[in-house]
Amino acid sequence: MNALVPLMCRPNTAERQLMSQTPLVEMTGIEKHFGGVRAVDRVSLDLYPGEVVGVLGHNGAGKSCLMRILAGAMTPSAGEIRVNGQTVSFEDPNDARDAGIETIYQTLALADHLDAPSNLFLGRELKTRFGNLDDARMLEESRKVLARLNPNFKNLSDPVSSLSGGQRQVIAIARAIYFDTRVLIMDEPTAALGPSETAMVADLIRQLQAEGIGILLVSHDMHDVFDLCDRIVVMNKGRLVGAHGIDEVTKDDVLSLIVKGELPTDWSARNLEVAQ
Amino acid sequence: MSQAVKPAQGRTSTPLAGLMPDATKIHRLSALLTLLLLIAGFSLASQAFFSVNNGLTILLQTSVIGLLGIGMTMVIITGGIDLSVGSVLALSGVATAMTVKAGLPVAPAMAIGVVVGAACGAVNGLVVTRLKIPPFVATLGMMLMARGLALQLTGAAPISQLGEAFGRLGNGALFRVVEMQPNGFPKVIFPGIPYPAILLLLVAIAAAYMLSRRQIGRHIYATGSHQEAARLSGVRVDQVKLYAYVMSGALAGLAGNVLMSRLVTAQPSEGVMYELDAIAAAVIGGASLSGGVGTVSGTMIGAFIIGILRNGLNMAGVSAFIQQIVIGAVVIGAVWIDQIRNRP
Repeated sequence: MNALVPLMCRPNTAERQLMSQTPLVEMTGIEKHFGGVRAVDRVSLDLYPGEVVGVLGHNGAGKSCLMRILAGAMTPSAGEIRVNGQTVSFEDPNDARDAGIETIYQTLALADHLDAPSNLFLGRELKTRFGNLDDARMLEESRKVLARLNPNFKNLSDPVSSLSGGQRQVIAIARAIYFDTRVLIMDEPTAALGPSETAMVADLIRQLQAEGIGILLVSHDMHDVFDLCDRIVVMNKGRLVGAHGIDEVTKDDVLSLIVKGELPTDWSARNLEVAQ
Repeated sequence: MSQAVKPAQGRTSTPLAGLMPDATKIHRLSALLTLLLLIAGFSLASQAFFSVNNGLTILLQTSVIGLLGIGMTMVIITGGIDLSVGSVLALSGVATAMTVKAGLPVAPAMAIGVVVGAACGAVNGLVVTRLKIPPFVATLGMMLMARGLALQLTGAAPISQLGEAFGRLGNGALFRVVEMQPNGFPKVIFPGIPYPAILLLLVAIAAAYMLSRRQIGRHIYATGSHQEAARLSGVRVDQVKLYAYVMSGALAGLAGNVLMSRLVTAQPSEGVMYELDAIAAAVIGGASLSGGVGTVSGTMIGAFIIGILRNGLNMAGVSAFIQQIVIGAVVIGAVWIDQIRNRP
């Protein structure tokens, strides 16, 4: 019985669906073709408020492609995306951001010659009454949001090319959570970070989750995935090969899905085993 | 943290920011120092160099390169280059002259010239963003087409007898003081500030304001700094680039009007190789050809370095061929400094 206790704290997907009927994001039958190659092949995925869904797969399995489609950085060849039940079509990243979908890219997507506030507000600059850039206010706001993530962040007016990997990551994260975010796509958010910063990101994910933000976490780090996610979806060769509650599977099951594209032949849901 | 060493400063510095005051500022300072050294050197070499009249001549001569250089700076910051400005300058001047000949007053005719320049820039921008042709090739094509069109339209002959009003922009001056002498001839006491210099100042202030205080300026830097990052951040990079090329074309058109007005003749073969002077001005002033870096004030210093070099070498009796060698060496030197600056 003891093993069930932590699971009780974490409502499973079915319960979540009862709590809030419409998913934040619903992707149905998404396809992306490059010439004859199907990078994403009829993938469906949904995400509910306050849920962390891990997106796993080999490099080239199509997970980044799928995330880019949701972020508006790439247009799908076929399929439908619904946000809060409304069908949307994203022509460019601004459309996705307007729908409350923010993305932290693995490459961070920072303009190296600009400073932290300019990057944080890039594309959404604060302006004065006369339409001029309000650099003072952007600096002030950046100071606040960056201090929340990393109290030691002081050199805000340096170009980001001169900052450490951790600081750059913090700017990318701050940019994604500063605005009115409902869905957060995190592509390998801890790949460039040290242990303490990784722990900070994990805390942040839990905090955002508690605020009701839906998070799609692309990660290779099995520890992070099992630590943070409520559900996982696994992609292999462009197809979705598995979608499971995190309590149903073991790390070996997930590895089998990633590598072979299928569960072990003798698989049965882990949480049910425990219950028996 | 090397916080204490570093004085409070603006956005533009480099990875060395912690060790040095600010590499961009150093570059600009060194350019300014070069400018002052040139002035001092030429003043010693020639009595006539350091005079009010010659100073105004330099202002006049530099204004065309300065206008081209400002447009070029915007394009270079986006990570592109515009090789067509010399030809667009000629085409715009010819367009203005032909409209004047057709009977339109000078002011609207000049506006049409600027629009023709902007249209050439728009074609450059569309070829770069829609057809995905590298800027070097796209604007090289426009360089040939605009020159060819200018020559074709005029039959390669200059258009003259454009009237006094046409020459006012290029030859007029503010605060000119003329005194009538007893013998009936006018004597110029103060030649006045040439209109082209005033125009250059106004355009430079407007461009600097646009680049540093407006959203489009911020997006120009972001696009040149990291195009994909800018796109993912919601910057419409294609529109930003198009804007930069249109501005460059329009300023080339304006420069064409100034130059043709000064000559009171539209020369379809004017402005050959001017693009190189404009690029040199931007690069000497600290713009980086890999994008993301550059300022209008730097380009102004660069334009005056080239202008003063030309003028001073002329005054010192150095041949035009040697001048080319010297300016070529200066450009290589400036890019070399840029390389050192960007070395991690």
